[in-house]
Amino acid sequence: MSAGTAADEAILLAGIARGREQDLAEFYRRYHGRVYAFLLRKIGDAADAAEAANEVMMEVWRSAARFEGRSRPLTWVLGIAQHKALDRVRRRPPDRASAEALDAERLEDASAGAMDLVARKQDAEHVRRCLEQLSEAHRAVVHLAFFEDLGYAEIAAILECPEGTVKTRMFHAKQGLKRCLGRLLD
Amino acid sequence: MNGAVHPDELLPWYANGTLAGAELEAVEAHLRGCARCRAEVELLGELREKVKQSAPVAVPDEVGLQRLLREARRSRLAHPHRWLRPALAAAVAAIVVQAALIGWLWTTRAPVMEPLGEGTPAGVVLQVRFDRAAPEARIRAFLQDHDAVVIDGPSALGVYRVRLHGARAGDSAAAARALAEFRAASGIVTQAELQ
Repeated sequence: MSAGTAADEAILLAGIARGREQDLAEFYRRYHGRVYAFLLRKIGDAADAAEAANEVMMEVWRSAARFEGRSRPLTWVLGIAQHKALDRVRRRPPDRASAEALDAERLEDASAGAMDLVARKQDAEHVRRCLEQLSEAHRAVVHLAFFEDLGYAEIAAILECPEGTVKTRMFHAKQGLKRCLGRLLD
Repeated sequence: MNGAVHPDELLPWYANGTLAGAELEAVEAHLRGCARCRAEVELLGELREKVKQSAPVAVPDEVGLQRLLREARRSRLAHPHRWLRPALAAAVAAIVVQAALIGWLWTTRAPVMEPLGEGTPAGVVLQVRFDRAAPEARIRAFLQDHDAVVIDGPSALGVYRVRLHGARAGDSAAAARALAEFRAASGIVTQAELQ
């Protein structure tokens, strides 16, 4: 999943900050897919996610000069994506937002033994459907941990929340996924 | 860590390989003696694989890229990058200062202008375009060195009429010398013609 070294990408961002379109194009080729995947997980709508991904890339173009190298470029760009996704989710009509999620924190715990079996037997489509039923905040943590393979500190930086919150969200998301996968098997 | 307290909150990060240091050592020690947590790690590994498989596979979208580049160009025109801003600010400042200078010269030297209807003004008159980037101080010093004043302008094309008090009207040699000096004033004058 590596798209290049962080140093390479920092150089790309420096080029973008100077207005080099070819560096923006290279950055897009490296990151657009990952930004889109993250946004789709959070927003749940392909057209919205594609539009938001474009907005993220425009934000990179406008604000690359503000990248200070204190985080990896991936963390920085996903942080921008996080803001864009939240903006879109907030702008949704209330009925759509409320109908979206089955918050994992409200789910009962599941029996670990049965869930082991469930998780192993389900295909990726089942996992995708169950992820869609989690809250947006829980989906984001699962995506960043298991699709991007990021550590909890880096996820906390992207989501701008305490590390403990990331761990708690992951715990509840996992419980929610187990529960959902169990229902699908029944 | 073996025993009643299971490190559930750290296991996802053990499964994705990002745990490090003391936390990694503690989890590894716990796993050696805890079948429940080993099963949990196995489950998390399966889940991780399926999350990867379930994510959309987005191929680089050249149409989207071209759209982005078009928007970026438009954005650059509307909102220049930070590195361009000082240059633009300096250019704008130069123009403002130049306009102020012209205004000052116009008003302070107005009394020496010939009244309307007096006929051909004394001295040689040039039509001059100043360099837009020229600092006001350089233009002022140059005009003073040549005993020159702005008597009209700017026109729609940015041309000023400048009278040279040191050269008598009809003195073609003096006019040619002055014209040559104005044309040679690189960085101050971009164009000069005899009126």
